[in-house]
Amino acid sequence: MSTVARNGRDLRLPFVAVLAALAASLPWLLGSYELHAVIVALTFLLPAYGLNLLVGYTGLLSLAQAAFFGIGAYVTALLAIHFQTPFIVNLLASGLIAGLIAFPLGVPALRLRATSFVMCTLGFVIIGQAIAKNWISVTRGDMGLESIPRPSFPLGPFSFTVSTTTGFYYLSLVIAAVATLAVWLIVRSPAGRNMVAIRENETLAESLGVPAWRYKIIVFMIGAAFGGLGGALHAHYLTVVTPLTFQMQYSTTMLVIVLGGGPGTISGVIFGSFLFVGLSEALRVAPELRMIAYGLCLLAIVFRFPRGFAPLIDRAWRWIGGER
Amino acid sequence: MSAAPLLEIEGLAKSYGAVRAVDGVSLHVDHGEICGLIGPNGSGKSTFFDCATGLSQPDSGKVRLDGLEITGWSLDRIAREGRMLRSFQKTVVFSALDVEENLVIAGQMFAFPNVASTFGIGAAARTRVESLRIQARELIAAAGLWEVRHMPAGNLSGGQQKLIQFASMLMPKPRLILLDEPMAGINPKLIERVMDSIRYANRELGVSFLVIEHNIDVVTSLCARIVVLDQGRKLAEGTPEEIVVDQAVREAYLGG
Repeated sequence: MSTVARNGRDLRLPFVAVLAALAASLPWLLGSYELHAVIVALTFLLPAYGLNLLVGYTGLLSLAQAAFFGIGAYVTALLAIHFQTPFIVNLLASGLIAGLIAFPLGVPALRLRATSFVMCTLGFVIIGQAIAKNWISVTRGDMGLESIPRPSFPLGPFSFTVSTTTGFYYLSLVIAAVATLAVWLIVRSPAGRNMVAIRENETLAESLGVPAWRYKIIVFMIGAAFGGLGGALHAHYLTVVTPLTFQMQYSTTMLVIVLGGGPGTISGVIFGSFLFVGLSEALRVAPELRMIAYGLCLLAIVFRFPRGFAPLIDRAWRWIGGER
Repeated sequence: MSAAPLLEIEGLAKSYGAVRAVDGVSLHVDHGEICGLIGPNGSGKSTFFDCATGLSQPDSGKVRLDGLEITGWSLDRIAREGRMLRSFQKTVVFSALDVEENLVIAGQMFAFPNVASTFGIGAAARTRVESLRIQARELIAAAGLWEVRHMPAGNLSGGQQKLIQFASMLMPKPRLILLDEPMAGINPKLIERVMDSIRYANRELGVSFLVIEHNIDVVTSLCARIVVLDQGRKLAEGTPEEIVVDQAVREAYLGG
């Protein structure tokens, strides 16, 4: 007899425990280049979580995630350079501003039908990049903004600065863990259930009193806020932002993480972000063939695992737990 | 009980291009009533339903619910604030979700009155969901679906899905339910069960009904009053006995 997994149930306690133990010991297991790849994966996990709320839970395919990622990166860079604000302020401001900007963008875009909505969200990334390139007095155009300070935390009279790769890894890990908890709480809430109802059948959901339009705009804003958080972390890590922060390839990477990992699951997206960012980094050994190999891997995954890796993870846990 | 009818529709009209799908229909449903709506295919019954429930907006006419004008309200607002629900002929359940989740979703609009409250993560929200789950299990057991409550609703038979849909609509404690062909495509044994459910909800839970149904035996047995539509207009209205002998109705059905 088949049963249906409920929202958030895929994130089982043993999964979380194993992941936490592995995560804590990672700097001793990996070299600095591999640790760098893990930091990139953790950074991309944030916008991917946001996109998963949209695509995986609410059923809205969006390519705008790189636009909010870029907005977050620029907000952080401008705040840090002009106002010397601490990391935590930049992070929260980036999430908040990206979320707020999503409102005027989402109101007209979400009136469109599915395919037109995808095109429209693609437009947001292109417009974002054009603004970053051409609003030179603020963004310095193609030169970008540089010397973004390493994250520092003012603690009373002391201040603690994260300057090593290992330090930044642990910082990213803490942020990713908090984000995971936030997503878990959202999808387990009654709102998460309504989001799934909208994904499954919007008209039926509305007939049962679910205000689909309001949920869609709210989820679009939450998704954008996650994108902004990722951008802020990225800016602090690279210490540089350029108009290339707004790139289509970021949007597609985030989409691949969600769809390949397992839309509508948390564990799948965690797995996806490590697999696909890791794959992309590992393929740097053959720069000419990198994108071709990446594409072939995607094709293989789509054919072999059409629902992403989440069902596989679920089966693995059942096997370990001795169920069925 | 207030003086106004529970549902009062006045001169409802809706055209699609040059076709007048509904052409000035007035109809009312009294408190506690089961009212039937019949008519040949293409007579405008479904369009009438869609306009009355906010799925599409009428060109003209008024819809009042217990004296309150709800013309122009959206589908979800009418369900949530008016507590007037409707079923669909084809879309019946959330196929990928299990039976229990289907019912819990339907109950949430009643337990969580606004969008912000649905993001609640505290003990209060969990308690409310838990009580919805208890209510859902009672309805599932009453509908004879206990064995399949954790199955994806889409894997069940058409008749079972209709029972799930009906049980779902009882979750938010509605005042009025508009049923669009509840018996279409289900076997005769289940027809009896669906009819019993409708009667039970009407008698014990005080839910009023407006029912579109092609099966004339079902309509005449369930409804005290029947309205007949033909070509977008009201052709006749009366008790089942009056309707079955009505000459105009017979001609409309036989294409005379």
